[in-house]
Amino acid sequence: MISKEEEKDLQQLQIISIDDDYSIIRQFIDGDKSAFQILVKRHKEKVRNIIYMTMNNSALVDDIAQDVFMTVYRNLKHFRFESQFTTWLYRITVNRCKDYLRKMNVRKIFSPIEEGSEISEYPAPVESNDISRIVTDAISKLPVKLRMPLILKDIEGFSYQEISETLNCEMGTVKSRIFRGREKLKEILQPMEKELMN
Amino acid sequence: MKKDLQNSELLSAYLDDELTQSEKAEVEKLLAASLELQKKLDDLKKIKQLGNRVKRIPESPFFETRLMASIEGQRNESPIIKKWIPITALAVVTIIIMAVLKFNPGLIDKMWEDQKVAIAGFYKENLQPVLLAANLTNEDVFNFAFNNELPLDDTRHQYLLLGYDDSGKEFFEIRSSQEKIERESYNEFITAMNLDVEQKQTIDSIIGSYSQALQAQVLVNDQNTIAINPNLWNLRKAIFADLLVASEKLNKEKFDRIVPAGITNDEKVVVFNTLEKLKNTSVDQYIFVTPDSIFSDSYQFDSREFENEMREFENQIKLSEKEFKQFTLNFRFDSTYSSLSETKNEHSFRIVVDSNICRVDLPVPEVPEIPIPGMATIDPLVEQATNNIHFYAYKIPKIEKSKTEIKIEYYNDDSVYSYVVNYDMLNMDSLTEANPGLDLYNLDELKPVGPLDDTMLIKYQFDRDYYNRHYSDDEFKKQMEELQKELQQMSEELKSHKFRVKSEVTVTPKK
Repeated sequence: MISKEEEKDLQQLQIISIDDDYSIIRQFIDGDKSAFQILVKRHKEKVRNIIYMTMNNSALVDDIAQDVFMTVYRNLKHFRFESQFTTWLYRITVNRCKDYLRKMNVRKIFSPIEEGSEISEYPAPVESNDISRIVTDAISKLPVKLRMPLILKDIEGFSYQEISETLNCEMGTVKSRIFRGREKLKEILQPMEKELMN
Repeated sequence: MKKDLQNSELLSAYLDDELTQSEKAEVEKLLAASLELQKKLDDLKKIKQLGNRVKRIPESPFFETRLMASIEGQRNESPIIKKWIPITALAVVTIIIMAVLKFNPGLIDKMWEDQKVAIAGFYKENLQPVLLAANLTNEDVFNFAFNNELPLDDTRHQYLLLGYDDSGKEFFEIRSSQEKIERESYNEFITAMNLDVEQKQTIDSIIGSYSQALQAQVLVNDQNTIAINPNLWNLRKAIFADLLVASEKLNKEKFDRIVPAGITNDEKVVVFNTLEKLKNTSVDQYIFVTPDSIFSDSYQFDSREFENEMREFENQIKLSEKEFKQFTLNFRFDSTYSSLSETKNEHSFRIVVDSNICRVDLPVPEVPEIPIPGMATIDPLVEQATNNIHFYAYKIPKIEKSKTEIKIEYYNDDSVYSYVVNYDMLNMDSLTEANPGLDLYNLDELKPVGPLDDTMLIKYQFDRDYYNRHYSDDEFKKQMEELQKELQQMSEELKSHKFRVKSEVTVTPKK
């Protein structure tokens, strides 16, 4: 449990963090283009990780992340200081991922089937104890609308409020999707329960 | 149910510390009262904790450098020119297209037609009769007439299955199997009809006479195209009926148990006329099954020209002493077909794809076929004979249900065994009490039907379509034999327990 004092400190920290992003953005709007580099340095890893978890494809991460920051760069001068910069940044990230997933699905329809290729719905048992890989693969099997809130909550530690703003949906929906995501994940991981418990 | 779901969602939010004080108190109260909820919370916690075990993607040392270089590169392009490039290009392309279309108004239609003709032409190239390509034997032709199955290539891994759905509409399936498919139907038939070597030779020569008629019915080529003539269903029926007529002459006594009513002279005339008509008429409309589409189109297969070509080809082979290449069909049941299967239009082919079966229902109105008067009159004969041959040759039990009882008949050695089980007397409780070791539910290959009552036997209803879709005849035969054994064992056990079950077993010596 967090004490009241700790809670106050945390709020203070958040305000500082908002202020920090805000002041950097103001510098950028005032013409200091190098300020953008500070924003990138500060947020790039979280953005890259959200992309990595959503796409489950490390080869795509930097391309999509670059696309996200280019969009931010082009539109930053119109930033209205009404919400946190990160909410806006993660919303762009999530939308870019959705765009890529859509494109990949379209491509899949037209690409030839490789000899002997077989896409399994559930991850095959692995010999190594790479829990991280098993879990990442299992998350990637979730439908996108369950996958996104689950990643933001259980991997990135967002609050329901932040997830709701990032994904632009109701808090009740976030609550329900996180629960359904966890249930579905449990179902997918059922065959490798032993590996996970060890 | 709804309440359970709400509670579960609340638990998940409780775990995330996202509840109001009152909700939290409510959940804690529910938790204290329910072990089930505690277990659910524990499960959710384990899943949530897995998030901590996921490794983050390693940092990319060059990410910022690359990003800033891209930004720098973009800044150097003139934003005004860049802004107008797409729209200018679009305008130029539009003007060109408009100009071309003004002078050639039918251009798009023509391109579309050309494209269709080119694609259809590609798949129609080098089509040859499956009879020759797959090196079909008399056994294969016989099996086609009796079991509706026709191998599609030399390797015997893929074959065509013809059928009729419940409404009598034709469908076909292209089936694929890991193992080589070999049937013993011809031998089974010879045994069931008790034919000697000489009589078998007569049947052989009759089958040989169908090859000309069959030749143009199913064509295949190296592009994995299968062209099926819509008259194939009728031809199969006519061949089957003709074989029955021939068998009657060869062994009347055995034939009578397959068709107890016999074949009338009128039916014989219809069979003869149908077969002659089908042999001598060619229909130039085929159903083409290709790796990416199914369509109906005209195609003329000239048997004589093909035979001449083949003769020449064989001579060349003999001269060059090259080995004849084995024809292999590799028909893939790919995702393209899944998207085709969404077509609901009754004028289109309806396609259902499973991992190793592709079923195609023919549209209504069907592809044009030759009018055959009187064909319908031989349908009951064909149906009765098919069922009886399966009964005698494959030992598939006959199951007849009435309001008061169920009658099961099966054939073994030289006798017909008949069980009559009364519904009122046989129920699940009495069976399980009397037979503690009997695993009645282990008949999982049989399709369960609605829970009408607790009588074991009518909970399982034989569904031949289900079997055809999932099992080969050999597997089916094996399972049926196992079922027979179980039924016998069950009957004996019930009798020995002298339980309140009335089951009658009568053995009728073979006619």
